[in-house]
Amino acid sequence: MSEDTLEAVQVAEPAPFATAGRYQGRFRLVPVVLLATGVAAVIGSWRLGLGELTNPGPGLWPLVVSIAVSISAAILIVIPDIEAYEKWTRRTTLLVGGVLSLVVFILLFTAIGFVVPAFLLLLLWLRVFGEESWRLALTLAGGGTAVFYVGFAVLLGVPFPDDIVAGTITRLIGM
Amino acid sequence: MDAFNNLGLGFSVAFEPMNLLFVFVGVVIGTAIGVLPGLGPTATIALLLPITYTMDATSAVIMLAGIYYGSMYGGTITSVLLRIPGEAASVVTTFDGYQMTKQGRAGPALGISAIGSFIGGTVAIIGLTFLAPVLAQVAVAVGPASYVAIMVLGLFLVTSLGTGSTMKSLCMAAIGLLLSTVGQDPITGTARFTFGIPSLLGGFDFVAIAMGLFGVGQLLHSLERTEKAQAITTKIKNIWPSRKDFRDSSGAIARGSLLGFVIGVLPGGGGVISSLASYALEKRRAKDPSRFGNGAIEGVAGPETANNASSTSAFIPLLILGIPSNVVLAMLYGALLLQGITPGPSLIEDRPDIFWGVIASMYIGNVMLVILNIPLIGIFIQMLRVRTGILATFALMVVMVGVYSINNNPFDMWVVLIFGVFGWIMIKTGFDPGPLVLAFILGPILERSFRQSMLISDGSFGIFVTDPISATIFGALAVSLTYSFISRRRRVKAAQTLSRECLGNGVSGVFH
Repeated sequence: MSEDTLEAVQVAEPAPFATAGRYQGRFRLVPVVLLATGVAAVIGSWRLGLGELTNPGPGLWPLVVSIAVSISAAILIVIPDIEAYEKWTRRTTLLVGGVLSLVVFILLFTAIGFVVPAFLLLLLWLRVFGEESWRLALTLAGGGTAVFYVGFAVLLGVPFPDDIVAGTITRLIGM
Repeated sequence: MDAFNNLGLGFSVAFEPMNLLFVFVGVVIGTAIGVLPGLGPTATIALLLPITYTMDATSAVIMLAGIYYGSMYGGTITSVLLRIPGEAASVVTTFDGYQMTKQGRAGPALGISAIGSFIGGTVAIIGLTFLAPVLAQVAVAVGPASYVAIMVLGLFLVTSLGTGSTMKSLCMAAIGLLLSTVGQDPITGTARFTFGIPSLLGGFDFVAIAMGLFGVGQLLHSLERTEKAQAITTKIKNIWPSRKDFRDSSGAIARGSLLGFVIGVLPGGGGVISSLASYALEKRRAKDPSRFGNGAIEGVAGPETANNASSTSAFIPLLILGIPSNVVLAMLYGALLLQGITPGPSLIEDRPDIFWGVIASMYIGNVMLVILNIPLIGIFIQMLRVRTGILATFALMVVMVGVYSINNNPFDMWVVLIFGVFGWIMIKTGFDPGPLVLAFILGPILERSFRQSMLISDGSFGIFVTDPISATIFGALAVSLTYSFISRRRRVKAAQTLSRECLGNGVSGVFH
């Protein structure tokens, strides 16, 4: 964490003085979303029923908390903190790919089990994001998948969804 | 004496072969992740929580505690050698430690850190051993109103002493409290903010949130980084400090132990604030303060000692009051909850094996750490050669499989992914996820204590004034808030001038 703080500070430092004013809206985006969340939660808590102070209902505590969210977010809108914001770089778009790969992984994992999606995810991250050679990426992805499968499914007994690869192998051995 | 009987019990637990193994595994992992930049103790404990679920409760806590204080040792290594703090508390060590490396004195800097850490850690464990039973007796009498006050104080301190803007951290703490209300109302059973999703009735899984914010968020963020790892060029020799080094730093180590212990006991203490305080103290006491920042050995020894003392004494509020005072301890608290154990004043009576076993294991762990950090330090430095791409990929797989294995439910994988994206946005926009996770853990305890107080007082807020502990804490909070509001105007003016002057100095940002 600390390292990121350092990095964040270093990246953001030149910006505030040069571009203050023009890009102020950017710093307010997150607080606005937070304020909307807070206000929605205030309404939600109200609907849950506040009860009495002597006999609090389910909504009383959430109301207290969501008011705190709203107030702090509102203050951040009025006085935005313009330090520690990192710049968006071209590599930021890589991130969309990273998130998508995880979405596909979870969907495949639910559908066809652990082995194939795990191998593909490891390979993709090692080759594309880690920029390792094909040979090393393939070796590590294959070995890694085996280690994870043995570690979690066999040793720890985690029930993974039905696996097309491991399932087929056990059936073949069984025959 | 009673304490010795208790310790005897503790050591008999800690010396069981399995537990000895787990202390060792814990401190080795801790040192390793302390060395690896970017993977801090919080993320590691989050990654390992699902695995500890299958372990015996005592072994699990012994190992996780080992990771925690082990990382405090390990974080020093990269601070000294590369000027990259392995975890937040080691930031201070970069000031003089890196200067010592540049002067060819990396060995003594690392050696005195390890020795100071050992002394600080051990002093704090001794304090913990003798003070804990006494404090536990006092803690039984602490009422719900005081609990509310202590937790509010803890949250305030964590938000104001942490990295980044206080208001942002406060906002994140409030969000954490809000997230913890999702699920069934603890008393009436009404579904709150579940949006009709059955998996949300039990609330968000703490592990999924922590793994998402600290694990996936961090890993996604690492995708954006292009720079390659720095190579270590320094040769490390003379790791055992000279007699003069010992003479110069003995005072700093003694003061650091005491200071660290006291700060660690306070809510919100532990870690970075104790090392900052020790550095400031040593600098003020020095005959020639200009040596600080130019390789003064006291500037390494004091903060490292204080850092370890405080991270150990921070176990006092966790184990005795059931209040985790920082984020890493919140993870340990979560681990105990996963095991079906609620830390609190009765832990020492109900599960003396866990309580004393963990304390005894810390004595053993600290001895192991000195051995790991002095003769074997070269091995850990080799770990810096592992490329971040490989490390990140495998850590990601541990997160995905690990979070699934808690409830064997793919729903948690989605939670981790969503919170991972949130975590990444928070890193990009300078919101600290630490207060969020701490507040998420404290949320249910805070709500319960608040409701109990309201029941006791017949719905009057007066209970927070009539209860002596809560009155003191809220009074002190009010005074300090007013004070900081008044001094803020002055500080803003000063900061504007200052930030123009030292734009190039990246480290200054940590103190905001």
